[in-house]
Amino acid sequence: MVADHGWPSRRLDLLAGFDLIFRHGIDTLHGFRRPAFATPFYQRVIRRLAGYGAPPSATASVGLTGPPTLLDVDTVIVGAGRSGRAVAGALVAAGLHPLVVERRLQPPPIPGADLLTATTATFLPPRVPTGDPPFEILGSVEPGRGLRIRARRVVVATGSYDGGLLFESSDRPGVVTADGALAMRDGRGQPPFRRAVVFGSGDRAKAALEQLGDHVVAVASPTEVPPDLVAEANRHGALLYPRSLILGVGGRRRVRSVTLRSRGDGTTTEVDADALVLAHRRLPNSQLFFQAGARVAWRAGTGAYYPIVGDDGTTSVPGLWAVGSAAGATTSGSIGSGERTGASLTGGSVPLAPIERIRSEGPNDMEGYYRDLLRESRTGRWIVCPCEDVLLGEVEHASRSGYRGMEVIKRYTGVGTGLCQGRYCVPDTLLLLALLEQRTPTEVGYLTQRPPVHPTPLAALAALNVSEPISEGP
Amino acid sequence: MTGPQRTEYAVAVVGAGVVGLYTAYHLAQAGVGPVLVLDRGFLSSGASGRNGGGVRQQWETRATVRLARESVAAYRRFGRDFGYNIWFRQGGYVFLAENEVALGRLRIVHQTVRSEGLGSRILDEAGVTRLVPGLAAGAAVGGTYLRTDGTLYPFPAIWGLYEAVRARGVEVALGVEAVGVEQEAGRVVGLVTRSGSVRVPKVVNAAGGWSGDLSRSVGLEVPNRATRHEILATEPIKPFLDPMVVRPSDGLYFSQTMRGEIVGGLTVPHEPGTAQGMGSSAAFLPRMAAALTRLIPRLGGLGVLRAWSGFYDDTPDGFPVIGEDPRLTGFYHANGFGGHGFMLAPASSRRVAQSVMGEKTDLDPGLFGVGRFFTPGEAPRAERLQLG
Repeated sequence: MVADHGWPSRRLDLLAGFDLIFRHGIDTLHGFRRPAFATPFYQRVIRRLAGYGAPPSATASVGLTGPPTLLDVDTVIVGAGRSGRAVAGALVAAGLHPLVVERRLQPPPIPGADLLTATTATFLPPRVPTGDPPFEILGSVEPGRGLRIRARRVVVATGSYDGGLLFESSDRPGVVTADGALAMRDGRGQPPFRRAVVFGSGDRAKAALEQLGDHVVAVASPTEVPPDLVAEANRHGALLYPRSLILGVGGRRRVRSVTLRSRGDGTTTEVDADALVLAHRRLPNSQLFFQAGARVAWRAGTGAYYPIVGDDGTTSVPGLWAVGSAAGATTSGSIGSGERTGASLTGGSVPLAPIERIRSEGPNDMEGYYRDLLRESRTGRWIVCPCEDVLLGEVEHASRSGYRGMEVIKRYTGVGTGLCQGRYCVPDTLLLLALLEQRTPTEVGYLTQRPPVHPTPLAALAALNVSEPISEGP
Repeated sequence: MTGPQRTEYAVAVVGAGVVGLYTAYHLAQAGVGPVLVLDRGFLSSGASGRNGGGVRQQWETRATVRLARESVAAYRRFGRDFGYNIWFRQGGYVFLAENEVALGRLRIVHQTVRSEGLGSRILDEAGVTRLVPGLAAGAAVGGTYLRTDGTLYPFPAIWGLYEAVRARGVEVALGVEAVGVEQEAGRVVGLVTRSGSVRVPKVVNAAGGWSGDLSRSVGLEVPNRATRHEILATEPIKPFLDPMVVRPSDGLYFSQTMRGEIVGGLTVPHEPGTAQGMGSSAAFLPRMAAALTRLIPRLGGLGVLRAWSGFYDDTPDGFPVIGEDPRLTGFYHANGFGGHGFMLAPASSRRVAQSVMGEKTDLDPGLFGVGRFFTPGEAPRAERLQLG
């Protein structure tokens, strides 16, 4: 196995031995306290192991220092997906010249609009009540130059993503989200697996099956499988496992099998597979709404917070619009929601059908799923937070010790503090804590969404320290 | 969010931060009870969960050096005493001087620290560069260094104290905000919270950034001001930096944690008051990034992962406020630490507890008592090494 941060080398990684000795992780809160005289020695060893990579060399940051990009625009659209493009198209059609920022490299061009590959660090709403300064977006443009955008109106079209899942060996190569599987297929021409199990029961699972079908051997679903998904699975000859728990994946170097347990009769099945594609849960990228202080509402059906929006996408913050799946529109409703906001922004009055929004009321399928899962006996490492290697046992221990609430559990265990900014662990941790604390997810609370939205190089931020004063913000 | 369980307590401590919990711990150890600790937020929601973890003994005033030295000794014992590893790592503190004038000021600190028996050293430019790898040429002419200063993880310290006080019978009510005290004839007789009142003759104000609000709601004028202070953490890289680095001229400070993140802050002026909230400003990240990359240019490629803010509880002279308020019997101050609560908490809280138990402390009331703010003729003194 090749380990990127292996020691002494990527091929021969002796550090992997730690995983064998400390099967349930190293308890840094309670371990290494005694004997006191050994403390400096422990600390030297731990500091050897810490950190993702070597400190940057003196030359590494040379290309990063450069003049920042400072833009003053009327309207900026964040995200060049379906809904963002629809808004941009409407603005261009009305003779405007909107700015669109997109995180991914080389998005397809939008005629008549400026398109910038950029990530956001800080996003501040206008100061009330004067509205001056306007929206302020600080971030970076590839390859790491500073970017500051001032805009009178901001349309957030940041889309949604596939959530993670808790099971044994979820860090095994071959466990991917549907986003990841499709991106790998697009990058290489075909997906890096031949016999995948797709997990999910909704539109996303159906889409994954449609696009990856020839490489899928089975569909496992947390609930009953709806007829259209049954038909799609039959078309590809994929086996169906309705009402199933994923207990874990087998295989040493990558996924060789997926272990399922029926939530109905309790039977266990091991499916011979080389990948597990997670397509069970679509979550909104809602960090910008939190940062701007927009009002949000919990939707139990998906288990996520969405901005409260009007029919044309207006939020509680004047000048801030929300469109597409970030605002809860379905995949097919995304373009419509973008067109409607575009019409509203340009003063047009196009007759439009109501926006199709995802089923977001009623109970969350995953709550019942995790209730059943926690009844199963567990061995080994179930990773709650892949970035920080936080194990389910640590969360349970913290909860048993009297620490309650998402904010406190985050500080106790480190869950949600890694590079993904909590996107892949917090939604599931929230459901787990609701079960452990016997409260609703809204009572468990949520993490304060802190800047930066995406990790941003110091050099890019430093370049923004220009003589023109930057507003203090709220 | 359950309110206090009893109707009557011996002592109520407002604030479940490091100062409040340590105070409750010392009281419980001395057999005082029942003790109630309450906090308006969740555990570690205030400055005790938002600081950079620095613990230094380099101060301009001998009394502060002594409190800090005693606190360092307590943190060395913390794992044994409280069962949690706070990763107190004595990697030292480097104070940078960017010119000879700044170095001259640091020499005064150096002499005070040495006179207290601590091995402070004056560094030249080469000495600073040895301790701070990658330092830009000409960024500092020298500085001071004390090897036994260090950094710790604030969170496990809070967990250890929380569990220790609860094991000793102290009740900790979280999510319960104190809004005032009940008085009779110049004495405290009760504490008013949003979840009802309790009878208690002694109240300790350890509310950090909110302590000024509490004192003033009781009718006691105090000069404490809550000032928002921002801080950031980068993605973790292999440890290359041992000490905490501080530049007093602009308040820049940073260290590398055991996990490898660079954690640090910089003073950006904000409107005072808790009403401002604990948000992030647009000014902080660019200014902090510019200061840090000018000092160590090779950090430019490092990604900032998180920025957050908390409240300093500042006093005009830079000394904390410790002890009973002469204007209201039974009302005790344990506040005004101005960003140095963790550095001084173990030793300061012991004296707060002594004062609550009616014992005499070794603290000079002219430096630490609240009376210094309204006693005419008191010679103005100040601890000027406030930043970092």
